[in-house]
Amino acid sequence: MLICENLSFSIDGHNLISDINFKIKKEKDLLITGPSGIGKTTLLSILSGLQKPTNGNVIYNNINLYNLVENKIDYFRGKQLGIVFQNFNLINTFTINQNLQLANKNLDSKDNDHLFELLERVGLADKSHVKVSKLSTGEKQRVAVARAFIGKPKWIFCDEPTSSLDDKNTDIITNLIKEESLRCKASLILITHDKRIQKILNFDQILKLGEEL
Amino acid sequence: MLSMLLMILGMTIITVSILVNQITKSTFNKNNPNVDVVVGAKGSPLQLILSSLHHIDIPTGNINYENAKKIIKHPAIKFGVPISLGDNFQNFRILGTDTNFFKLYDTKLKIGKLWEKPMQSVIGYNVANVTQLKIDKFFVGSHGLIDTGDVHSEQPYKVVGVLKKTGTILDNLIITSLDSVWSLHSGQNDNDKNLEVTSILLQYKNKASAFSFPRLINKKTNMQAASPNFEISKLFKLTGEAHKITNYLSVLIVFLSFAGIFFTLFNNINERKYDLAILRTLGFSKRKVFSIILIEGMTIAFLGSLIGLLFGLVIYKTIEYFSLLGKSMITGQFEFFYEIFMVWMIILVISFLTCLIPCIKVYKQNIRSTLINN
Repeated sequence: MLICENLSFSIDGHNLISDINFKIKKEKDLLITGPSGIGKTTLLSILSGLQKPTNGNVIYNNINLYNLVENKIDYFRGKQLGIVFQNFNLINTFTINQNLQLANKNLDSKDNDHLFELLERVGLADKSHVKVSKLSTGEKQRVAVARAFIGKPKWIFCDEPTSSLDDKNTDIITNLIKEESLRCKASLILITHDKRIQKILNFDQILKLGEEL
Repeated sequence: MLSMLLMILGMTIITVSILVNQITKSTFNKNNPNVDVVVGAKGSPLQLILSSLHHIDIPTGNINYENAKKIIKHPAIKFGVPISLGDNFQNFRILGTDTNFFKLYDTKLKIGKLWEKPMQSVIGYNVANVTQLKIDKFFVGSHGLIDTGDVHSEQPYKVVGVLKKTGTILDNLIITSLDSVWSLHSGQNDNDKNLEVTSILLQYKNKASAFSFPRLINKKTNMQAASPNFEISKLFKLTGEAHKITNYLSVLIVFLSFAGIFFTLFNNINERKYDLAILRTLGFSKRKVFSIILIEGMTIAFLGSLIGLLFGLVIYKTIEYFSLLGKSMITGQFEFFYEIFMVWMIILVISFLTCLIPCIKVYKQNIRSTLINN
């Protein structure tokens, strides 16, 4: 279970997010929505251990994330969490394969077979040697999704995964994320203001920032 | 790349400088078997020492053998031995002396015996190895101290003994009786009064004679007395300045290399801070990213200094092989490798400290703001 207790974050006295509370059970999905600038990406950074909150706790299965030392948080993120960033955060000078290998290396995994299987499923097996800089936006997003699922994470965070995609690619990527989440038995926490996603997927919980449901 | 080249250059100069300086000093020390003073013909005292003890220069001239014998019997002298130079075999000097010469050096015969009559010779360890001369083999000496082809074919030498390795100039000498040298040079075996030797190597009974005895020789005779220790330390004083400049230069180059490594890493970090932040999002710990940057910097420092060290050794060996001085160097002195090893370790430690600064910058990187700013 993931529990968020009284999460707040402020910079220079300006509150970006304040007093966020929610609980989400294992293998259940959560949609976080809200208008631009409301702090959705900041919330994702806090949940994934990239940004320490000003106040509050993030608890994964009785582990209070920010009670851990920084290296342990990094380790936890690498082993338990998968993140799909809004702007992909891929290394553009690397090939698709190298980007995935990098993530795989951090998991100390020597098994490369599952990388190819993953690339098959996201439809990029024949392009594994192509540099990320030469891919289309839709393809980059698929690489980002594939990378997030490499370590078979238990919690998947997606930040506006379809904001720069057309309808067709939105459909493909959204279904891909859902399928891979089910395959890993992971909880999906998706942040978006894209209404198309809500038509494609059903979420167990929806959190509108500022409102608790 | 530039920082690695600077590291290679700096380490090469340091290695060559240490080896040349230390091995030269050690060779000069080992070549002097406690000889307090050398008496020879007037001229440069340093030249007399270099030619008579270290065999790397031409003699200043000859002195009368009768006078030499008188000096050896002087009350201030405990022990003395005359030497006579003039010929060589394949660039190895043929030295005429008496068998007391061997008492100066801590040496033994590896095989054979000392000479019993003229034109018999004992050869040094390196001579035997290089020329392939063996016991009972004959060879003819060439006139002069380097091989000119002008040979004394009428009277060949016979090898009767081979010396054990001494690690001194003795390994590079062919030693024979004074009679052999005199018999090869016309007019020198008529009577004792006309016989000449190159110089005499002397030990004092009392070290206090070091002040009075040379003055006596230099003022009252047509010969000169030179102290090996004094002349060699004078030589090192002169070359020491050049050595100092070389050292300063190499230290400067190595420090430029440190600066090169520092700025290379710093630029790399600035260019790749986004990529490094991505590594953190994938779960790479701060320590892991820190060590990636550290390994990158230390690879430049380690490889650069190692290549420089190897270049230095190769250059030193080349100098040793081709130089006149090098031929009389004692090789295989591993104590200097310890000194070089220590310098190498110091360079690696400073490189490590240089790398730490950019690594700390990476360690303190805020991942979220780096990703957002990108």
